[in-house]
Amino acid sequence: MKEIHELIIPEDLLFAEDHEWARQENDKVRVGISDYAQDQLGDIVYVEFPEPGQIFSKNEPFGSIESVKAVSELYMPIGGEILEINKALDDYPDLINKSPNDQGWLILVKPTDKSEIKSLMKKNAYMEMLKGLEV
Amino acid sequence: MPQESRKTLLNHWHRSHGANMGIFSGYDMPLWYGMGVKEEHLAVLTRAGLFDTSHMAGLIVSGPDSLVFLNWMFTKDLTRCLGLKTKPLVPGRCAYGAFLDENGHVVDDSIIFQLTDDRYMVYVNAGMGDTIARHLNAHRRDRDVQIKDLTGKIGKIDLQGPLAAKVLKKVIKEPEKVLADMIYFKFKGNFDMDDDSGEPVYFKGGTPVLISRTGYTGEFGFEIFMTPEKMVGIWETILDAGKSFGVIPCGLAARDSLRAGAVLPLSHQDIGAWPYINNPWRFSLPFDDEQKHFTKKFLGDSALLNLKDPEYTYPFVGFDLRKISGGGKALVFIEGKEMPVGTVLTCVTDMGIGRHEGRIYSVAGPELPENFKPGGLSCGFIKVNKKLTTGQILELKDRRQIKVEVVEDIRPNRTAHKPMKQML
Repeated sequence: MKEIHELIIPEDLLFAEDHEWARQENDKVRVGISDYAQDQLGDIVYVEFPEPGQIFSKNEPFGSIESVKAVSELYMPIGGEILEINKALDDYPDLINKSPNDQGWLILVKPTDKSEIKSLMKKNAYMEMLKGLEV
Repeated sequence: MPQESRKTLLNHWHRSHGANMGIFSGYDMPLWYGMGVKEEHLAVLTRAGLFDTSHMAGLIVSGPDSLVFLNWMFTKDLTRCLGLKTKPLVPGRCAYGAFLDENGHVVDDSIIFQLTDDRYMVYVNAGMGDTIARHLNAHRRDRDVQIKDLTGKIGKIDLQGPLAAKVLKKVIKEPEKVLADMIYFKFKGNFDMDDDSGEPVYFKGGTPVLISRTGYTGEFGFEIFMTPEKMVGIWETILDAGKSFGVIPCGLAARDSLRAGAVLPLSHQDIGAWPYINNPWRFSLPFDDEQKHFTKKFLGDSALLNLKDPEYTYPFVGFDLRKISGGGKALVFIEGKEMPVGTVLTCVTDMGIGRHEGRIYSVAGPELPENFKPGGLSCGFIKVNKKLTTGQILELKDRRQIKVEVVEDIRPNRTAHKPMKQML
């Protein structure tokens, strides 16, 4: 298990309480799961994606991620339309374990309401939340 | 971590070696280490893995009436469990079965090791030492037996996988002599206590151990018992000797997927507070040759033979690696029907198997079709209210749905029974 100081948490990511991250890329938002989440889940073996074109609101489940341990729902950190899914994960779901913040991204979203992203946590706030989870 | 969770003596080792920890039966245990569950599962199929299983509990039952008493309490007929079910258990051999209550419900499953003529070691699941001691005491009546719960007083490490004997050869004294005749469910040695029975087995450093050709993975290997203070040393000695063979430490997640693929039950999940019959573990009930009557009387027997609404437990295999929830949370449907027929007890992914043209193959071979690499299949057990036949297609549903097939067996080419001379 990674200690909090071992987690890779880039400054340009924003985090939801369910451990999804969002990265602003011009007028789009890329979404993945955090290093903490992948470490907790263990080997990722399968990702269930939405269809491009589908629209979800913030906090709505958009798919699921399956580790050897369990199946977990994925929640939208920001509402919007699915523009792209990371097809590489079909063959290499372990990219999420190896590179959760970059190559293991999940979906690219066109936000419905750009201001929603402001409700997400910055690195420091997310790390504080993680410290609260460790007893 | 809750305050009350119990720790094994390897807890510090697990934590300082990057284990992802979780609570199992009240114990803070490693779920997997840095290489991940998949690599650990595959290591046991192709090389060997080392498991800390000292959260399990042991009891000693001794005294002149031990055999008669245990044979009343246990499902396996200890007077006819060797050879072609005709010979009694003897010192140095062990047997698998379950302890039932009056209703034929499972209190726990167990392996009973016969140490001497009137002394047995009863090994049960984590946290069950006290429960089984009380269960045995409640039914002993005036029988001349002593029951001693040794929870926390025995260390246990499992070395499992086809290279296990090659690793053990490097670390024990007189390895050829010790291992040559170690058939399945045979054991040797002891770990002091007040027992000087049997042929002793020593690690090279002089630590006495009991080694048993048993395990919970379906693969070739050993369970190694020692006094708790020797456990960390033995653990590190085996890992060190096993390094060149690719031996790695493995957590409970790999243990769970390995045992399910080997059609072995998890107590209190696949067997539990319901009648212990009509399940894949029929071999542990004392059926006679006609398969209708029992060869002995035991606690819970009449309940098993007089069931009003029998339920049936079957193994299943999926068509890809997707899982659904176990623990009775997901429902079982016959394809196309609306009424559920039962629930899912266990559903895990055996990462070492895959389907090719209707057949299941394991990474352990022997002959894989060209350009085919097993990518994992979901598997486990269901409990249903009607008889099903092998090959029946089912739909298992929780918030999603997977298609599975009722099978007799899951992971092919398991190594547990392989002759020792092929494994040295």
